[in-house]
Amino acid sequence: MNSSFIRKPENMFALVCLVFSTLGFVFMGALVAKPKVLFGQSLTAITPSIFPSIILGLLALLCLAHLIIAKRNFVPSNEQGIIGIGRGAVFFSIMTVYGLVLVPLGFIISSSITIAVLSWYTGNRSKLQIALIAILAPIFLYLSATRLLAVYLPELDVIELAISRLLG
Amino acid sequence: MFDLFTEGFAMAMRVDTFLIMAVGLFCGMLVGALPGFTTLMAMAILLPISFFLEPLVGIPFLLGIYKGGIFGGSIPAILVSMPGTGAAVATSRDGYQLTQQGKSRKALDMALFSSVFGDTASDIFTMLMIFPIALLVMQFGPPEVFSVLLMSLIIIAATSGSNIIKTFIMMMLGLWLAQIGTDPLGGVERFTFGLFDLRSGIPLLPMLIGVFAIPEVAKVVMENTKARQLASVMGERLSFAEFRRCFKTICRSTVIGTGIGTIPGLGQVVAAMMGYSAAKNASDTPENFGKGEIEGVAAAEAANNAVNGPTMVPLLTLGIPGDNVTAILLGAFVAQGLRPGPQLFEEQGATVFAILIAMVFANLMFLIIGYLSIPVFSRLVTIKVSVLIPLVIMFAFAGTYVFRSDSIDLLMLVIFGIFGILAKSAKFDVMPMVMGFILGPPLEYAFGQTVALSNGNFVGFFLTERWGAMMVLIMSPLIGYYLWQRLRKSTA
Repeated sequence: MNSSFIRKPENMFALVCLVFSTLGFVFMGALVAKPKVLFGQSLTAITPSIFPSIILGLLALLCLAHLIIAKRNFVPSNEQGIIGIGRGAVFFSIMTVYGLVLVPLGFIISSSITIAVLSWYTGNRSKLQIALIAILAPIFLYLSATRLLAVYLPELDVIELAISRLLG
Repeated sequence: MFDLFTEGFAMAMRVDTFLIMAVGLFCGMLVGALPGFTTLMAMAILLPISFFLEPLVGIPFLLGIYKGGIFGGSIPAILVSMPGTGAAVATSRDGYQLTQQGKSRKALDMALFSSVFGDTASDIFTMLMIFPIALLVMQFGPPEVFSVLLMSLIIIAATSGSNIIKTFIMMMLGLWLAQIGTDPLGGVERFTFGLFDLRSGIPLLPMLIGVFAIPEVAKVVMENTKARQLASVMGERLSFAEFRRCFKTICRSTVIGTGIGTIPGLGQVVAAMMGYSAAKNASDTPENFGKGEIEGVAAAEAANNAVNGPTMVPLLTLGIPGDNVTAILLGAFVAQGLRPGPQLFEEQGATVFAILIAMVFANLMFLIIGYLSIPVFSRLVTIKVSVLIPLVIMFAFAGTYVFRSDSIDLLMLVIFGIFGILAKSAKFDVMPMVMGFILGPPLEYAFGQTVALSNGNFVGFFLTERWGAMMVLIMSPLIGYYLWQRLRKSTA
């Protein structure tokens, strides 16, 4: 297979799926626990690996079929890859950090920082607007969720105590 | 039966019933409109309130949340491509495109009118047909459920895109993702790689938000799109001519949704997808679907709301909840001393009819409350990109977290977001994957039960004892192939 064929995103995607499904199929025994047995007899009509085997087998065959057809119809072109991959990497890095710090830092602080960073990154240069949305939006959502809908959002004890005192 | 109906009608005509339904509808719409906050969550949280109310007040309150929540989910789906509920996934396809074209008001109006029409028609159908349908559904066993689920998957794959291999690849991927966790039949671990967090499987909500909403936001960031491309003005209202043009589609989707609603386990998501696919198939311009076709919004919304009424059929006649929302309703019925099952119609027939009649009247209020509240929720789209993106991300993370209060869900959200953008770049549609993921566990469960029933003679069992299910199995690929060919020809 030539490199321009594989570099095409859809072929790359299918190839990754093919490798992954083949590996899953081959190592099925290690990835799926043994079925429960009572007095030497299985407790279920089908073993836990039957359905995944069918799925992964079909997935591998479909990926292979896609690659064969794509190869047959392949015409080299100067197709652009993913646009703005650098900006995307920064965006997903910000999201990953947000996901990691949301519980330890609490919802309000982590959301405020993320909102401020993302707002600036997406082109907002008004410090007042950034500060307003970064502070008010997380507080509003936190109070709505926890007080109105009575669901749990992680928050530091100090902030939770302060809110309780303020709201009575 | 007519006596029970008239008695039920008199029982339903109460001011407090209507008031509490209005409150339920508003709460449902509000929660559904918050991206990531689901109807299920709202119903679960507000369920205890119904325990302290009379059956004819408490249950209509929950029904109001249910109806309002399903429509509410279409608001963020249309405005920011973030389906508030799984049922609104199909709506987001064309709804969001319409928003980007500055026609969000049109899309929201169409969503409301088609939802109300689908809901009302299916509720009336439910009232008229509950007895005969109950008789039919009572005959359904695992082989029939398996056949119907398989048929749904084939039809969805056949109508999701012109490249059927790519669609099936995504569907298989979704089916495999549904295998992660604990096996539904034997209770053993599969593909958990020893990670404790994966034992309960991949939760649906981070996947939905991750693959549908995050790539949309990421695309704006990556392309460095300036303000007003994600956001848009409200635009014109829906005209009567546009509604009339879509009326056939709305009727078709209502029939599809009503049919699916009577079958336990399928629910709004399947109905919306099938309604959408059927509309695309029947359309003279299927290439416009996914690019801002108002008929797409009508098809999905009419179908998903048409499920609401008929889900009461298996629930009330057999005590089988059609989905997780009706499972909560089942809890409310039991808590009120109304144990669903065939005997309910003998003991509390009038109350059952009163509840069904209240459902029909709820739709009228649904229309008024929805129409008045649309501008309030639609203010979202006037926000600048640099304000909207951080807020959408915050809602996405908060919505994901409150679902299970598990921080691993936040990482799953990011992973599915990355996956979504990669799939988008590779021109693989994520919708079949989500469908495979949702229908995977019931499909495997029905398959396992069918194998157990057949005593190892799978084919013989279908041929000799389950010819109805066999017919569905034989017809499914043929229907799928026909639909695929039709779609391919019309898009060529």
